Amino acid sequence: MGFRRDIADAFLKTNEINPDFVEVAPENWINMGGYWGAQFKEVSHRFPVFLHGLSLSIGSPDELDLAFLRQVKNFIAEHDVRVYSEHLSFAKMDNAHLYDLLPIPFREDSVKHLVARIKQVQDFLEMPIAIENVSYYTPVAAQMTESEFINQIVSQSGCNLLLDVNNVYVNAFNHHYDPYEFISGMPLDRVAYIHMAGHEQVSPTLIVDTHGEAIIDPVYDLFDFTVAKLKPVPVLLERDFNFPEIRMLNHEMNQLRSIVNKYWIKDVVPA
Amino acid sequence: MLYQPDTYKIEQDLSRFGRTGNDIFIPGATEEGLRQYRRLLRNNINNTMVQAFPISRQVLPDDEWNELINLFFADHDAKTAQIWKLPAEFVTFVKEKDYATLWSKPWLNDLLYFEWIEIEVYTMPDIEAEPFTLQGDIRNGTIVVNPEYRLIPLRYPVHLYAVEEAKNHPGDYFMMVYRHPETREVLFADLSALDTFTFENIAHEQLSLSDIAAGLKLQFALSDQHPLLTNMIAFVQEMMAQKLFLGYAEERK
Repeated sequence: MGFRRDIADAFLKTNEINPDFVEVAPENWINMGGYWGAQFKEVSHRFPVFLHGLSLSIGSPDELDLAFLRQVKNFIAEHDVRVYSEHLSFAKMDNAHLYDLLPIPFREDSVKHLVARIKQVQDFLEMPIAIENVSYYTPVAAQMTESEFINQIVSQSGCNLLLDVNNVYVNAFNHHYDPYEFISGMPLDRVAYIHMAGHEQVSPTLIVDTHGEAIIDPVYDLFDFTVAKLKPVPVLLERDFNFPEIRMLNHEMNQLRSIVNKYWIKDVVPA
Repeated sequence: MLYQPDTYKIEQDLSRFGRTGNDIFIPGATEEGLRQYRRLLRNNINNTMVQAFPISRQVLPDDEWNELINLFFADHDAKTAQIWKLPAEFVTFVKEKDYATLWSKPWLNDLLYFEWIEIEVYTMPDIEAEPFTLQGDIRNGTIVVNPEYRLIPLRYPVHLYAVEEAKNHPGDYFMMVYRHPETREVLFADLSALDTFTFENIAHEQLSLSDIAAGLKLQFALSDQHPLLTNMIAFVQEMMAQKLFLGYAEERK
């Protein structure tokens, strides 16, 4: 489960949330001191930590911010981080951060650019990273399908895939494709991590990946379909705001557990 | 960079649209999707600033606040990878563009700065204090300062009055903002000029109160340093109780 300040007490004081690991954005915690710095130290002491970055901007034409990446590397070492993942998107342009995930044109030159960048990051960090398929709300001058784009990047860069099942559902709705076919076409042997989340339909033709709602049944169904095809990997329940009662979050985690237990039984690390 | 120029331009156009909302054309893009990105990006910036500057947001009219957000996002190239530090860049942006003068709100820079400093002190990396003991000679000992602080000068007393009233009291104000070493809460203290002088001599010169008072007596040809010293002692005792000062330096062996 994602460790968020709004529900920190449930992790650290009341123990109502007791996940197998926690995920955080390094941007939210690097160089954080004081009360929250102390809270995070306790979290990293009690739970395995996965990092899910927001600002690396792997799909940006700007040079990689190696000073920031060095801070991430130090943070990984300091907190014994098991997994570092980022998004297949860009979040910086013309040396200005945008603080959200923008879609990359699905093109051959983008593939080459991204493969080189992912390799650069992996070499710098001296560890493989996992790249997440992002939700997107408009196509941008695509010259290949999203599935082809992801497959080429994963196979050529050697990175792992963070498969966000909710994003597949969102994109399938927004861009009119079959999410089951899409999942089947992913490089499933490279999936190292799964994200599950809720979303919000904002118009008859658009769903936005908000992480602020409960997971809906069709996404659980797609998750079930996905898990059946995979070896055991960690599964994250992503919830960033609009938190319900803790028992509802635990209910969601238990639903995820019950699905993975149908297929994986042992060795699974759901969160 | 292995992007072809047109791919680069597509990302650049999308980014500019997100920052400004100005019309663009991207092959295959939908208007609804583009508008959604503009909304999401701007909301992120606005929400971050509303959270960081709740008083400023409350006292500025909607049109002025929205203009600030729009101009900041469009014209300022955000440097930090950590969005929670972006309000510091907002403070600088507003000051450099001189909206305080433009909008006849002379207190604006001070208010934004004051609100940001609370966040900065609350989140700043932990700093280890010098070793100290609780027993010592307040007149002649070396006093240990809590290192997690910011001492900020203000032209308008936005920490004492509502902004419309603060506007009527320009002057030289010194605001101590520091983090309690145990609770980690941010605390504030309004310092007089003498308090500020005393604090800076303790913090930066490691002078004892007797030394500071003797220096002032010499500098201003005072006949008696004791009233000064009495004031300084009262200040240090009070702020030691409030944990701005932690104790007395351990004697070196």
